[in-house]
Amino acid sequence: MSAISPVEKPERTLIDDLLAEQRELTAVEIFARAHDAHEVRGRRYEKLLPAAAPAPGQQYAFEVDLDKCSGCKACVTACHSLNGLDDDETWRSVGELVSAETRAPMKQTVTTACHHCVDPGCLNGCPVLAYDKDPLTGIVRHLDDQCIGCQYCVMKCPYEVPQYSKARGIVRKCDMCSSRLAVGEAPACVQACPHEAIKITVVDQSKVRGKYRQLDFGIQNSKFKIQNSFLPDSPNPAITLPTTRFVTNRTLPTNLEAADAHEIQPAQAHPPLTILLVLSQLGVGLALFGALAGGHSRPTALAALVVTLIAVNIGTLHLGQPLKAWRSFLGWRKSWFSRELIAFGAFIGALGLHCVILNPLSSILAAVTGLAAVACSAMIYVDTRRPFWNAPMTFGKFFGTTLLLGSVAATLLAVLWRADSLTHIAVISLAALGVLVKLAAENRIFQFLVDEQSPHLDALNKTALLLTGRFGLLARIRVVCLASGMLALLVASFGSFSATAQITLLAVALTLCVAGELIERHLFFVAEVAPKMPGGGTV
Amino acid sequence: MKTMSREPKVESRKPGHALAGAGSRPSTLDPRQNSLLRQWTGPLTEDLTLHPGDFGLGKVPARLRPDATTRSVCGFCSTGCSLDVHLQSGVAVNLTPTADYPVNLGMACPKGWEALACLAAPDRGTTPLLRDAKTGKLEPVDWDEAMQVFTLKFKAIMDQHGPESVAFLSTGQICTEEMAFLGALWKFGMGALHGDSNTRQCMATSHVAYKQSFGFDAPPYTYADFEESDCLVFIGSNLCIAHPIMWQRVMRNKKNPDIIVIDPRRTETAMNATQHLALAPKSDLTLLYGIANLLIQKNWINREFIEKHTTGFEEFAAFVRQFTPDKVAAETGLTVGQLFRFAETIATRKAVSFWWTMGVNQGHESTRTAQAVINLALMTGNIGRPGTGANSVTGQCNAMGSRIFANASGLLGGRDFLNAEHRAEVARLLHIAPETIPAKNSLAYDQILQGVADGKVKGLWVIATNTAHSWIDSARATGALAKLDFLVVQDMFTTTETARQAHLFLPAAGWGEKEGTFINSERRFGHIKKVSRAPGHALSDFNIFRLIANYWGCAEMFSQWSSPQAAFQILKRLSAGRPCDITGIADYRHLDAEGGIQWPFSKLGLGTSDGSQTQTPDAIPHPPSERRLFADGKFFTPDGRAKFLFDQPRAVAEPTNEEFPFVLLTGRGTSAQWHTNTRTGKSAVLRTLYPAKAYAEIHPSDAAQLGLEPNSEIAIVSRRGRVTCTAVLTPTVQPGQIFVPMHYGVTNQLTRGEFDPHSRQPSYKHCAVRLEQIS
Repeated sequence: MSAISPVEKPERTLIDDLLAEQRELTAVEIFARAHDAHEVRGRRYEKLLPAAAPAPGQQYAFEVDLDKCSGCKACVTACHSLNGLDDDETWRSVGELVSAETRAPMKQTVTTACHHCVDPGCLNGCPVLAYDKDPLTGIVRHLDDQCIGCQYCVMKCPYEVPQYSKARGIVRKCDMCSSRLAVGEAPACVQACPHEAIKITVVDQSKVRGKYRQLDFGIQNSKFKIQNSFLPDSPNPAITLPTTRFVTNRTLPTNLEAADAHEIQPAQAHPPLTILLVLSQLGVGLALFGALAGGHSRPTALAALVVTLIAVNIGTLHLGQPLKAWRSFLGWRKSWFSRELIAFGAFIGALGLHCVILNPLSSILAAVTGLAAVACSAMIYVDTRRPFWNAPMTFGKFFGTTLLLGSVAATLLAVLWRADSLTHIAVISLAALGVLVKLAAENRIFQFLVDEQSPHLDALNKTALLLTGRFGLLARIRVVCLASGMLALLVASFGSFSATAQITLLAVALTLCVAGELIERHLFFVAEVAPKMPGGGTV
Repeated sequence: MKTMSREPKVESRKPGHALAGAGSRPSTLDPRQNSLLRQWTGPLTEDLTLHPGDFGLGKVPARLRPDATTRSVCGFCSTGCSLDVHLQSGVAVNLTPTADYPVNLGMACPKGWEALACLAAPDRGTTPLLRDAKTGKLEPVDWDEAMQVFTLKFKAIMDQHGPESVAFLSTGQICTEEMAFLGALWKFGMGALHGDSNTRQCMATSHVAYKQSFGFDAPPYTYADFEESDCLVFIGSNLCIAHPIMWQRVMRNKKNPDIIVIDPRRTETAMNATQHLALAPKSDLTLLYGIANLLIQKNWINREFIEKHTTGFEEFAAFVRQFTPDKVAAETGLTVGQLFRFAETIATRKAVSFWWTMGVNQGHESTRTAQAVINLALMTGNIGRPGTGANSVTGQCNAMGSRIFANASGLLGGRDFLNAEHRAEVARLLHIAPETIPAKNSLAYDQILQGVADGKVKGLWVIATNTAHSWIDSARATGALAKLDFLVVQDMFTTTETARQAHLFLPAAGWGEKEGTFINSERRFGHIKKVSRAPGHALSDFNIFRLIANYWGCAEMFSQWSSPQAAFQILKRLSAGRPCDITGIADYRHLDAEGGIQWPFSKLGLGTSDGSQTQTPDAIPHPPSERRLFADGKFFTPDGRAKFLFDQPRAVAEPTNEEFPFVLLTGRGTSAQWHTNTRTGKSAVLRTLYPAKAYAEIHPSDAAQLGLEPNSEIAIVSRRGRVTCTAVLTPTVQPGQIFVPMHYGVTNQLTRGEFDPHSRQPSYKHCAVRLEQIS
């Protein structure tokens, strides 16, 4: 019919056939298992689950038989697969305890996950009540949709349990496969252990309390860590009262230490928190000096307000879910995070009020709430019971910063707006006091400087080594900033200069001091060595 | 109060029955009502919600809930675990170890759990790649061009330089059907001669040792033997880490067995031992002869078994007389007391099993060492009974398939190329002319590479192995590969050290993307399924071979090899009447339904040496799920007797000296790593389970002497190369020795190319190095 000949269809080649065949998945039709397959996995685990649910005062707990753990790490991958975790997310980990005894060398692998503590640090620290300790099972569960991603639980947990996901903006953690347990199914790790080393037991919470509470929070020395009744060379169980029981029928060597005991790793940096802490303390310092000078300077009050608002806003950049952060007051009963937030709210309110009414009383109110907020900031870290964030050091640093930056900034503002100010002598004295407090707080760590080859390094030894080694240069720059900032303040205060020169000098002094404090606060985070379960190892 | 009243209910509903009782466990964890202040549920929570998975799986992540499941044998090691693959619309989304499979009993190691992860790796080959002459880069081409280049180049080389100028290097990681196809295509279809496999690196020794001693490459055991021994002897085997699921069986042994571990290192296995003999590296042959001598001197041997079922014992007894306890103690670094205790334990236990792995196989006199193990089993009559045996624990998932059916070093079905009768048999079974089958053996792996280095082998086809990383003295191997006129690499990944050197890259489908069978350590055929689509234009190795047959012009010869299932039927024919007879296996469905089937399983009965149970003619045959060989004391040698084979021990080729004072030991690092890490390195979760950087285990006293700090960067220097790695101080290695895991590319830059004369297996376990501080 048509004059145009039909386009010749290219012949189908073997390649086409094979590529098509490669796309076909036939396993289902030929080999798929019947839908009514009986529950065969369950049988093997009956003895690994408790026969009855916990009675009041009891809870579920993991029990790890150290004699059976072979270090295969199937538990880690099974937890990952059966809970559908993100690619590199793991809720269980396997570390190693090693004995330095050369005649009978020993490696003990240790599988560990959340300890579902009697007094969970994560729960106590959470500002938005995103943790729930189930009243019947004692399982500590994280409410993913409530979480604001502040990661304070990460700092509060001595066992590295909550895992923060940047992509999701929240932390997640082990819930002992509570939905499996609820129907009599074993948790993923229990199911996957070829040696039945992990089981679920019921423990008396009062017994856990009794066993660990008499231990001193403060004990951080190596000897204690090694002989820890919870597990050798692991965090002090008095902090959160972990319920996991590590059992063995052998007598473990007394000198077991974590395979990674000698690793000195810097911690994560938190730039928004670093800025928040320094600028908010500058704001409080300004409010303090404003009050000390009589509370008549609106520029000082305004500056304090603006700086604090900037600080708080930058601080929210730390959150993974900032839009949910309005709930952060909820945890006020236990969480210093909530209390800090409330205190800063009060401080900002008081400052706002003071900016309007400019009354000495309102200035005092602002200063007091501000100082309370700084105290809460310090308590956030002190409450983690991490050695480097101990109370004397942290309070010293935070209030030192408040005094130092407040005095320098207040002097600058006084010159700029010819506002009321304390005398030069008074200002310099307070600034010097701030510096002294800071130096005292900051130098304490160097008491713990030991040789890297020492047989046992505890957290403070490692921090000291970080501050002299890896961060040595930064630590020195920080001292130079502080010293030159103070020099500039002295020269500006006592030299005779034109107003412009004086302002410039004071601005330089403030910039140097702020830079120095930012470095100090950066080091406060990165040089901190967090407690952790034994890790490392090469099995 | 509410809680209290609830408790008795839980108990009373199903008293004494944990699981049923647990069904009514407290469920306050069920989502509570959301309020303005508290979000108990929501999209983020739902991400982790679990739902009943059905299919006997228990709960699974809701978004990964399968609509069907199927079973597939794991594709990493030789244990041969079965995995229940969770499918959504036919595609694998997750997996769990099969609960009622006789091998793994519901367990898997981390590699198995993560078996699907590497399939989605970004560096998968999706199209053939051809090196552009001008740019020197690998550029995408279509299959037609790739196949034309493949045939043109290989034909040109063979035309010009003869059939011995080309070779293949294959693997123990592909299916039996694929191995057989490759071997048949290469030797019968393409007319080439040389081909070997990376099983040369792990199992050649066991293959040769068994073949010489038993008359056939026949590991006699079944995994139940781990549970039935009252004494287990592990020689050069860190089973706990290298085969964690086999170790499960050891730990399930209820007989409170003696566990004797012979290993220079205090490995994880050694820590579980009742006796750890930390001998000097490569003094194992001397030790085993010494123990044989002790057993004979004390008359702790089974005369009856020796006389009825073996040959060569008297010569052996005369030979080992020189290995006196004092001499052996001096050479092994053990005490005479340790030797006596070891011998006495073997003598006094009823069921002694001997297990060896790479510590034996990868030695300079490995075949005789493996046979020294076999000799101990024979002389004490510890073979053929439950809980006994001289048992080689295999390495790769299908090393056993390679050993019997690869048609590389041996003719199909465990036959010999040099045997005219065997050639005639195969020719008849495959309907090909007998002359097509070469009457000459192939070069071994090391000889092929030597041929490449010498310019004699000009074309090389590498399939699913990573020579440039794994071959001993790898810099030399890499250098040799660079000399090739034509290097074809057929692999899943374009980024392996070897693929990066290729002239032509052929993208292969991996485990999970194709069908076929593997044979595990205990001779069990297992089935692997196609549960995932290969990326882009990647093809299964089987189909690549079909394509090559077509382009080469020998498609006619392979017209029956139309699918893996069809090829399996050919393998059955080839096995008929052989010790590895599998004619009783109907097809893949049968394998799948039985939970794997061990060879032999003849349609005439359960095979040549265990004919106790004969199948009824009409019913589908159900072989017992765990069977061992030699219950009747009949071996596969012409006279039916096992042979005592032995040789004078030889010194290592590279002893330590002042310049290189340390012995370098290599081996498996963790159970989360496999070989050169091309697959295990693709799983983010596996990567969290081992150190990212190469490390060397060093004794603290050596470190102190050299001033090496823990975790510091050090250099290891051998006569072959200098590499850097992290120092890990541990007394689990002896002073004067260091251990570096094999999974890191640096390791084989140090090792020395020395080979066992019988098996030509490389000696990875001994070379001399020195350590240097890096300031």
